[in-house]
Amino acid sequence: MAAHAATGAKTATNDVSHKRRKGPGALATVYLVIYNVVMTAGWLVIAVGLVRSYLAKGSYHGLYYSIEKPLKFFQTGAVLEVGIVPSSVVLTGFQVMSRVFLTWAVTHSVREVQNEDSVLLFVVAWTITEIIRYSFYTFSLLNHLPYLIKWARYTLFIVLYPMGVTGELLTIYSALPYVQKTGLYSITLPNKYNFSFDYHTFLILTMISYIPLFPQLYFHMMRQRKKVLGHLEEHSKNE
Amino acid sequence: SWYNSCISGFRNPPSPYVILPPVPVKRPKPAKKAKKAVVFFEVEILDAKTKDKLCFLDKVRPPPRVCVHPQWYPARQSIRLDPKGKSLKDEDVLQQLPVGTTATFYFRDLGAQISWVTVFLTEYTGPLIIYLLFYFRVPFIYAPKYDFTTSKHWVVHLACMCHSFHYVKRLLETLFVHRFSHGTMPLRNIFKNCTYYWGFAAWMAYYINHPLYTPPMYGEQQVTIALMIFLFCQIGNFSIHIALRNLRPPGSKTRKIPYPTKNPFTWVFLLVSCPNYTYELGSWLGFTMMTQCLPVAFFTFVGFVQMTVWAKGKHRSYLKEFRDYPTLRSPILPFIL
Repeated sequence: MAAHAATGAKTATNDVSHKRRKGPGALATVYLVIYNVVMTAGWLVIAVGLVRSYLAKGSYHGLYYSIEKPLKFFQTGAVLEVGIVPSSVVLTGFQVMSRVFLTWAVTHSVREVQNEDSVLLFVVAWTITEIIRYSFYTFSLLNHLPYLIKWARYTLFIVLYPMGVTGELLTIYSALPYVQKTGLYSITLPNKYNFSFDYHTFLILTMISYIPLFPQLYFHMMRQRKKVLGHLEEHSKNE
Repeated sequence: SWYNSCISGFRNPPSPYVILPPVPVKRPKPAKKAKKAVVFFEVEILDAKTKDKLCFLDKVRPPPRVCVHPQWYPARQSIRLDPKGKSLKDEDVLQQLPVGTTATFYFRDLGAQISWVTVFLTEYTGPLIIYLLFYFRVPFIYAPKYDFTTSKHWVVHLACMCHSFHYVKRLLETLFVHRFSHGTMPLRNIFKNCTYYWGFAAWMAYYINHPLYTPPMYGEQQVTIALMIFLFCQIGNFSIHIALRNLRPPGSKTRKIPYPTKNPFTWVFLLVSCPNYTYELGSWLGFTMMTQCLPVAFFTFVGFVQMTVWAKGKHRSYLKEFRDYPTLRSPILPFIL
């Protein structure tokens, strides 16, 4: 959920101040470029997989299965970037954790939701966002960032972010009855550690947490957009 | 006089100012009769962020004390020599600061403040009451058939006594033992702290007093040992608090190296900078063992992490301040942390 907003925000600040910051060393730069290229490629594979599957099936239902493995692989692989990319560790960590949670603890764990259209909704949102985001990082590292990529990064989120959040919330919501019925990931009393955990309630609380978090991140991205893209409009006026 | 020029110049201040009439605020220094020629100071106060000139005074007669425009009470003001530097203290006197005869101070508003005593009393009274609500099984917590019943396990009664004793001890220490360096902290801290203490107290109390509570695996043996550990550490913790209090005469804010006293519980000062935290950890480990309850273990762990952060900070500031600080000491765990 926090995906698009968080890293976008921080890198915008870096864009503005990149001249003042010291860049990573040569070896680190090579590693980062390779990482970002691989991730861009990975999400492109997912995108292509979705399109091919859609064309083959003739409908957009049940496309999850065609990209299940690369989705799990590349989304989980994103844990490597926590603390590496030029965003705060807290923000990156939080967003990667929430993505991984949705991928494994909801979609993978509750088989019955895998056919839902809401899954396609967030997968498409994530795919487009990540392709743009990783190519943004790649080009930035090579100091050759096309304006189109920068524009896309700070504009498309306006639609993609709510789209992704909607998909995520609907997916969690559709998982609720199955979690309650099977007692998935839940511990009941009595037990010798005197502890209990109700995954069903936990999921509801997770959904509620979107209410304070989503607007904050969304409007933060909006402000970053004005800073990054507004700045360029002024610049071109002065020329 | 300078006082009149200050007041008349800023009769309708557009923003809050720091004014320097000779009204004592915290601890007024006794007025000294100057026998030789008096040196006058010029003082200007700038806003730390915008560098706007807030107030300028010439002919400030030492020793001046800082007073305020009513809404910006003293505890909320940070006056410093450098915009990013540390705040000056109430006791600092203008003549003794490293300024020339024209002193430039920077003002920062610390935001709404609340006294440490108030925060401590509030954050400790909560757990005391909340735990008892669960112990007495007031309605709407557990199933209705259990309302106002008592647990059949004697360890549950013991746990309630220990938990209550712990927080009563803390309240009494706040009122009668501790001597605080700072009077106040930011207001938002009370919400943060109370959420932590009250939240964890409710979480622990829910399970310990639950009708389906399972007593410890090793029964009476386990509980007895746990109780010994708990009591030992409570006495230890109290001893350290007394020792720290005795380092500091009433009303003073001096800092000294703590040393072991005649009380054997303080001998741990030989190995540790903050034994009060060491004993606190021990108490909660004892309580965890006594109740064999995972939420209690979580609470112990989180508290340990926070206390370690504090202990390391305190240890570092001891090392910075005292050249002869004993090298054998670790922040919180002997030889380990």
